[in-house]
Amino acid sequence: MTKKEKTLLTAAIVFAGTFGKTSTAYAMHIMEGALPVGYCLAWGALSVPFLMAGFFSIKKTVRENRRALTLLAMSGAFVFVISSLKIPSVSGSCSHMTGTGLGAILFGPAAVSILGLIVLIFQAILLAHGGLTTLGANTFSMAIAGPFLSWFLFRIFEKAKVNRKMSVFLAAFFGDLFTYCVTAVQLAMAHNSATTFGIALKENLIIFAGTQIPLAIVEGILTVVVIIGLESYARPELRAAGFIKEGR
Amino acid sequence: MATIDKLSYHSRLRYVNTGEKFAFSAITLVLCIGSRSVCLAVFVFFAMGILTVKKGGIPISEYLRLLTIPMVFLGMNSLILGVSIRQTPLEVFAIRWGSWYLTGGRETIGYGLQIFITAMAAVSCLYFLSCNTTMTDLLILFRKWKCPALIAELMLLIYRFIFVLLDRGKAVSIAQKSRLGNRDYRTGLHSFGELVSCLFVNSVKRSEALFDAMESRCYDGVIRVLEEEHPPKKREAFGMIAFELWACFLIWIGR
Repeated sequence: MTKKEKTLLTAAIVFAGTFGKTSTAYAMHIMEGALPVGYCLAWGALSVPFLMAGFFSIKKTVRENRRALTLLAMSGAFVFVISSLKIPSVSGSCSHMTGTGLGAILFGPAAVSILGLIVLIFQAILLAHGGLTTLGANTFSMAIAGPFLSWFLFRIFEKAKVNRKMSVFLAAFFGDLFTYCVTAVQLAMAHNSATTFGIALKENLIIFAGTQIPLAIVEGILTVVVIIGLESYARPELRAAGFIKEGR
Repeated sequence: MATIDKLSYHSRLRYVNTGEKFAFSAITLVLCIGSRSVCLAVFVFFAMGILTVKKGGIPISEYLRLLTIPMVFLGMNSLILGVSIRQTPLEVFAIRWGSWYLTGGRETIGYGLQIFITAMAAVSCLYFLSCNTTMTDLLILFRKWKCPALIAELMLLIYRFIFVLLDRGKAVSIAQKSRLGNRDYRTGLHSFGELVSCLFVNSVKRSEALFDAMESRCYDGVIRVLEEEHPPKKREAFGMIAFELWACFLIWIGR
């Protein structure tokens, strides 16, 4: 381990130790039946343009290089599998990575929007995480909002010549956090009959922040560790996925 | 983790027409969420449970275990709905936190509970579909609905790869554990990073190999699979209509 890795890991240990009782990261899926029908449709409709863009971009990639299809499929399975692996946690409770930040950094946000949709369908049907009616809302928060922000931040930091590990960490961390915020907004918009939207949102954010910020930090650190691993073992594969291709 | 997938292959309702099963659970789901009727929700929760366990032959212990999964999410979601943060405490309970109270009133808790109950009913609808229908049947259904060929193909391949990669991941993590790869938190994080990078390299290599294999078998951009036909039966369709009418009646009563 390099010195930087050591510092990162120490930071992770401190945070995880402080907030030892991490709840599961899956808590950000909105459960089947938790949203009224109108909101389900609205969020679904809002996701459509992004998904269309993703679809056309994938279609173009596959037309240019048919080999990309199996690579895309593997990437989808990869995102599903890393989001179902238990990440190490001190308290012994079980938490998971979202994997979307890593996916966006590796494969680009357009591809991840479609892959994320497919992964969410599989998660709903095979694992009962999320649901069919809340698919639109979950797609928007987890497959569109988070990955787009992650990718956007990553590119900006790269341009600004920020240290790569730092930029990967910040991209994954903020992407994760943004996903939680969008989920909080979605829940607050749907359920604020007793109070106003603003108060409901504030409550949701406070409750989310306590449980999810430590998880977002762990996710960011894990993403950095994974990228370090990939850069040392998998340069050709990274080139195949388009991570190094553009020479950035 | 693959239990639902495994169960669906053993279900006795597996060969019932997929479209029928999908329509049944989707319509019931929409009725539940659209009406938010507690009366209907309780009925649907038990009816779907009985259908899945008795008719589908899913072991009851497995089914009950599956029902605990959504508890985690719903617990979180309902907590957000049932609890509010105010400067004045509400009637049921209040936890002081500086000048603010983490508090719940009859109204907020009732609302949280209503959402919880209807959501559990919705989950039982989802389980009826996923425990009794194999993923391959659902994919065929998507294809029939003119889902773009590219997406249908991606889904088919991803579904296949998930299990390949999961196996691989399990093997690697056993190897890591047997070499004390998780002996403390720090090593655990390091091992996790290596596990994921190893999976990534593996998946890229496998995808290359798969493409070569497919191309050498004349892959031209479309994967064609033979499908079995199971036309819908009249009795099932009538039962379904009766169920939905009864559901509408319950919504009306519960008002």
